[in-house]
This record gives sequence, structure tokens and C-alpha cells, in this order.
Amino acid sequence: MTASRFSGWNKLLLSGLLVASSAWADHLADSRYHIQGFAAQGLIGSTNNQFFGDSRDTVSADFTEAGLHGSWQPLDALRLSGQILYRRAGESDQDGVRLDYVQADWQFYQTEVTRLGLKLGKVKLPYGLYNETRDVPFTRPGILLPQSVYVDNSRDLLLAAPGVFLHGASAQKYGATDFMLGWVRPDFDSESVDYSFLGNVRPGRLKGKGTLGARLRWDTPTDTTLMLTYADAKADYTPGSIDALAAGTMQFRNLLATVQQRFDTVTLTAEYGEPRLDLRGFGALPDTHRVIQAAYLQGEWRFHPAWELMLRHDLFHRDKHDKSGRRFEAATGLPAHGMFARDWTLGLRWDATPSLMLRAEYHRVNGTGWLPGPDNPDFLSREQRWNMWLLQAAYRF
Amino acid sequence: MTILLSPLAAAAGIIVHPSVEGRSISIVSLRNIYTLRQTLWPNHQPIVIFVLPDDHPVHEAFAKEKLGLYPYRLRQTWDRLSFSGMASAPIEVKDENEMQARVRATPGAIGYTSKDTGHDGIKILRLE
Repeated sequence: MTASRFSGWNKLLLSGLLVASSAWADHLADSRYHIQGFAAQGLIGSTNNQFFGDSRDTVSADFTEAGLHGSWQPLDALRLSGQILYRRAGESDQDGVRLDYVQADWQFYQTEVTRLGLKLGKVKLPYGLYNETRDVPFTRPGILLPQSVYVDNSRDLLLAAPGVFLHGASAQKYGATDFMLGWVRPDFDSESVDYSFLGNVRPGRLKGKGTLGARLRWDTPTDTTLMLTYADAKADYTPGSIDALAAGTMQFRNLLATVQQRFDTVTLTAEYGEPRLDLRGFGALPDTHRVIQAAYLQGEWRFHPAWELMLRHDLFHRDKHDKSGRRFEAATGLPAHGMFARDWTLGLRWDATPSLMLRAEYHRVNGTGWLPGPDNPDFLSREQRWNMWLLQAAYRF
Repeated sequence: MTILLSPLAAAAGIIVHPSVEGRSISIVSLRNIYTLRQTLWPNHQPIVIFVLPDDHPVHEAFAKEKLGLYPYRLRQTWDRLSFSGMASAPIEVKDENEMQARVRATPGAIGYTSKDTGHDGIKILRLE
């Protein structure tokens, strides 16, 4: 993202935040303004491969997240909100401060328990359970989200995008339902996205075209959440001046299914998707139709008011029809383990105070399917089996 | 699972601004309000929600006994909706005195206290 592109938005948001924070300071604490934020620092150590910086056999502190969120309701039916985000994550994310999103939400129909609205701007994209707040550490089930479904490698695609969403919600006897249906133009232009979809950083530019997004959510009276998210995104490639690739087209479609069951102090969650990736007309890259497989199963147990244990198994196959990666290896000479990743994660969360959270997490990984490319540029020196531990301290206000 | 609760917390009473109509509120409605699904009173007045801090004994008792939810689950719901710009999180007050003062001063307000007794300018809703 370029600074000039969003400077107008930035000014608008900043002035909004300033107005809001002065109101806050006056202790009006008007119900129409709200400011909140967070800051978090992580430490990462790993074996055999790098994750978010120089973590192999040493400790990387190159994982920092901070955000300032503001919302303002000038009218009962209108809500303006936005978030400024600072994020650093090894070689994969060095953009520093950026405008995460800024949107206007007009709820044009409201009854006691039913709402219909239209939100527009640079809007948060609905995708699974955690995507809309994926950078707010307190809202995640662990320090890292399950990488199969929430791929930090292509996070730029999933974050927020200029567009518009129609949304509605209703709370009835059979539970609460809500839907979102929208059109956005996501951001494909990043090194990490090149790595994930075109195999390496490319000199040209992927430009997103119109994308359809939809999500249906049903929260039953039995504390079950059922959800379906659909996305259909296209991007055109404009080759660089010296480029092995031709002007190709990429299409990415995904239907993600989510189930969550909440018991007294236990939460069980599963999400499953089979994203389809089509590449056409890239010349040096053969035309491909690939079915990716992404799934995880996760249990969280709040065994004390301030303590939570999490266990997760996360599964990722870059090609559902070549799970072992052997065909890929035979065809390209690159390691088969780049085509999959199976990750066992054990995590512990301690809410030391309502505003301070400390976390520890251990990953045992077989495969390099979602290993961050920019941190591990040499394909041949990546190793199939690797472990990783993380610590994170997060503060909120 | 009582280990998550402070055993000494008194049962909480539900208080509202006098502009709120009616004498009682259903459990379902109360839960919809505190999970940010119901945003208007039956007369279409916007609801303004007040809460005590997550680790306040009266909040813990209210969340578990009246809503059937642990405080951390409420916080998850509020964070998910507020940080994505879909709703406002409830307004947090520091103690019960401030809770009563803010509910008294804010049309459409709802809150709770440890005592089921009335105060000038505050209405108590019966839970049905």
C-alpha cells in the first residue's frame, strides 16, 4: 500500500479519532463515541525453519501488533468506525503503520430484534470466525490463528477492501441469524500473495477485480454456531518489464464451513474449506486448477476465570489430489513437504488483569505448506519437520 | 462449575432509566441486549448498556446468574462486534455508585446493581 493512496482516508479517520478522544478526555464518555486499542509484543523461537524473523535456534522479537480503534454514532442509524494498525511480522510484514479499515454503516431498517444495514468504505471482510478481528490479540484463540484457514501468507487479501456490504441480523426463538452479502475489490498486490499463489515474488503486479463475498451465520439457542462463508475473487496479472510470466488471470473461490459448540467452560471449534485456485495464461506457469484443503479442530478450556488451555490440530494441503506432494516434487524438483502442513498446537492464556493478557504456545509442525516465504526465501533449505514456541504479552485500553 | 464464580457475590438487580417502558424483562431479551443483538427498546428508543469491570464480583454474578454466560464469553462477543465496527461495546463504569448515576442520567440506559432496592430516578425491572 502506498502512503499517498490512503492519506485522505487517514486524515478523515484521524480527525474523527481526535474529536472522539477529546470527548473521552472530558469524561463525557458519551455513548456515541468509543475509543479502544491494544498493543502486543511476541517472542518466537523455532527449529529448522524461520517464522516471523530470525527465529531459528534463537529468539525473534520481530512480531509486534498495535491498534487504535474508534467508532462514532452521529445518528441512531449511522455508525462510522475505523482502525489504525501497526504490525511487524518478520520479513513478511514490514509495512508498519497502516489504515486497517474505515467504514460507514447505515442501519436503514431497525426493529427491536431485527436489523438491515448497508456498510461501505474500506470494509472488514467477513471470513470465518476470526478474520474481522484477526489483528486484535484478545479475540484470537491463540497467538497465531490456524494457518490453514487464515493463512498469514495471503492475509492482505482477507483483511479489508474497498467495497460495500448489505447485512442483516435477527434474534428469534430459533436463535440469532445474520447475513452479509457484498462486493469488494481486494488487494492482491503484495509479495506474500505472490509467494502463495504464483510460487515466488514476481516483478509484475496482480490487480484485484470485483469480488463477491457472502456469509451466513446461525447461533442456535443451544450455544451452537453454524456458519458458511463464500468468496469468489479474480485478479489480473500485468507482467513487469523483464518477466518470465505472461499477462495471466487468477481466480480464487472458497466456501468455508464453520461449526462451534460452546459448553460451560469448554469451546469446540472446527472450520473446513476447499479453496479452488485457477491460473490461466501465465505462460511459464502452466494453466492449473488446484483444490486446496484447509481444516482445523480446536478445543479451548477455561479451567479458571483467568486461565485458558487450547489444543488444536491444523491441516493444510496445497493440492487435495497430491496430499503427499510427491507428484509436485517429481514435476518440479522442489521438496514435496512444501505442499502440506500438519500442525499440533498447545496454548496457554492468562488474563492477568482485564487489560493484560499473557500467552504461551507450542507448535509441532510436519510440512512447510504455509511457512512464510519471505522469511525462508530458499526453497531447498526448508526442512519438513520443525517446531516453534511463542510468547506474547498484550495490553488493551 | 462454581469455581469461576466468587461465592460471596449477591444476586444482581436489573436497573433502567425511568424512560424505559414496562415493569419486567424476559431472560431472552436481557441476553439479547447484553450480547448486542437487541439494540432498541419496544418503543424504539436506543438501548444504552452499562457494565462493571470484567472481574467485578457483581458483574460475575450478573453474567452467570442472569445471562447464563461467563464474563469472558461476553467480552469475546463485545470484542468481536466492536473491533469489526458492527456494534458498540457496553460502557464500562468503575463501581456501583457510578453505575446508578449513569443509568439515572442516560435515557434508554440499562445496568445492574447488587441490591434489589429502589433509588430515586432509577427503575427496577423484574426478570421473568
